[in-house]
Amino acid sequence: MKYLFWVLLSVCLVSCNNEEYLPLENTLLTVEVPENFPDLVYDIEANPPTQLGFELGKKLFYDGNLSSNGFISCGFCHEQNFAFTHHGHQFSHGVDDLEGTRNTPTISNMAFFNEFAWDGATSHLDLFPIIPITNEVEMGETMTGVINKLIADSEYQQQFENAFEEGGVNAENFLKALSQFMVMMISSNSKYDKFVRNEEGGELTEVEAYGLSVFQQKCTTCHATDLFTDGSFRNNGLPPNPQLNDVGRAEVSGSVNDNYKFKVPSLRNVALTAPYMHDGRFGSLESVLNFYANGVVDSETLDDSLRTDNGLGIALSDAEKEGLLAFFELLTDETFINDERFSEY
Amino acid sequence: MKSIYKILALTLVLTVFVSCSSDDDTATELIGENSVTLEFDNSVGSDDLLLATSSYTNSQNETLTITRLNYIVSNFRLTNDQGETFTYEKDDSYFVTSEETGNTEVVLENIPAGTYVSITFGVGVDQEKYLQGAEGQGDFLTVAEETNMMWSWQAGYKFLNFEGTFTSETVTETTDFKVHMGSHGSSLDNYKEVTLSLGTDALVSDEMSPIVHLVADANAILDGAHKLSLSEQSVIMVSEEKSPLVALNTASMFTVDHVHNGTGHSH
Repeated sequence: MKYLFWVLLSVCLVSCNNEEYLPLENTLLTVEVPENFPDLVYDIEANPPTQLGFELGKKLFYDGNLSSNGFISCGFCHEQNFAFTHHGHQFSHGVDDLEGTRNTPTISNMAFFNEFAWDGATSHLDLFPIIPITNEVEMGETMTGVINKLIADSEYQQQFENAFEEGGVNAENFLKALSQFMVMMISSNSKYDKFVRNEEGGELTEVEAYGLSVFQQKCTTCHATDLFTDGSFRNNGLPPNPQLNDVGRAEVSGSVNDNYKFKVPSLRNVALTAPYMHDGRFGSLESVLNFYANGVVDSETLDDSLRTDNGLGIALSDAEKEGLLAFFELLTDETFINDERFSEY
Repeated sequence: MKSIYKILALTLVLTVFVSCSSDDDTATELIGENSVTLEFDNSVGSDDLLLATSSYTNSQNETLTITRLNYIVSNFRLTNDQGETFTYEKDDSYFVTSEETGNTEVVLENIPAGTYVSITFGVGVDQEKYLQGAEGQGDFLTVAEETNMMWSWQAGYKFLNFEGTFTSETVTETTDFKVHMGSHGSSLDNYKEVTLSLGTDALVSDEMSPIVHLVADANAILDGAHKLSLSEQSVIMVSEEKSPLVALNTASMFTVDHVHNGTGHSH
């Protein structure tokens, strides 16, 4: 009788256990390419976003345990209110109050890009998270360390099992989940988008329309397409900060021809993403325009498009600057920065 | 009942006959599959590589003490005496060999039977693999991280991690050197492939699992066909001029010393 009891009890336990581990229903998410966007670059087939993969990726994105001290999550520097940048910080802050040397770039429309980080340190979105996670002045962890922490957490174990058909908690699925979250982060509902798609709410004022025409005339060599970047690496003529002497793309390529070149940033939500430039040296868009008008310095790798018959940089009248500033406001996407799918709380 | 014995006897005779005759026709018919073991024996010139122990003087009169020699080998292909090439499963084809952990053996499993005459492999990780993203890397990312072969700020791999100290005529104080070589983002691909004749045929069958003993001459990394002086530059990591030369030198450091044919893993 005693034995029977134990047998029954273990049967109960096993079955309860089993019920707990029944895989949840998972659904594929659709990545909708806005009609005014270029084609997707990210290979969706290789890592199709699912509801549970996305949710796992979001949880990881906001989890401080991805860092060595348990506090610095991805979302620490990439705040949704500021289009996933580190508002008010010139440089990204990391563990132990350490500080990086570059300004946190926005996370949006990543699925449409070929190169990641200011210097293109990786050409695959999946592999990007390795950089901040392992950087001593950012998250200061190791991939192995992160995976071990996740393995030790039964909730994560279950979420990985539910989100992926095979593998459970490992580096591959970890990176896939983060990508699934980032791939879904598409910003395409600014007033500008409504204007180009002839949608309601897209009527431009006179100064906005003027700003758009100035932009198209003077800025789209680099800030091309409706992503507002051609994805190239260029030296825009910023005088290098002698304390950092950040050579940009040359850090990755090892080529002096790439000295001081940085990836042309997207301008989406640009009115929200101060401070500006790879080192966050400018606090306002006015300063940025003043720099292009008056501050561009020559060097061997200065971009040719900034050398003109009338001198270096981009000639801009006060009226043109005013128009451009109005245009930049058009790129703010309230839907994106308030989208609950991406929000921490 | 008797007839059954007759049939059995006949069958037995036939079996013996057939097996004998098949033996006679091709004395070395190889069937089935087995593993091929590659031993990467690291050396410096004709000397054994002893980490942090011996010093080695190269043709540029620089004296090196080596503390680390790790490299990635990948994409193995074996060519048989018929000129047919067997390509090892790509996803399983990436290995870190490390002198400091003593993990310098690569075991290729389930190689089809045959008489193999040459081997081809890559040094590093090809762009095709890298650009598969998380899917392509699988667990190799953490393997690389644990063996100091992850290049975190490039979010890629070090194909070679070669470190130590040196002195020379101009650098008389013992000075650290570091040679880390890999591809440079999307701008420079340093993955290289090597094809080596095995010298002796490597025989693979259900019964035979050869061991190929390769020698990697670490001296070639800086002192091979392309001379790289540590006195001139002691840290070579991402150099558009020097890294490709390190890649070429590294790919040229391998030779096949000998092949053991036989059974088991320690024959």
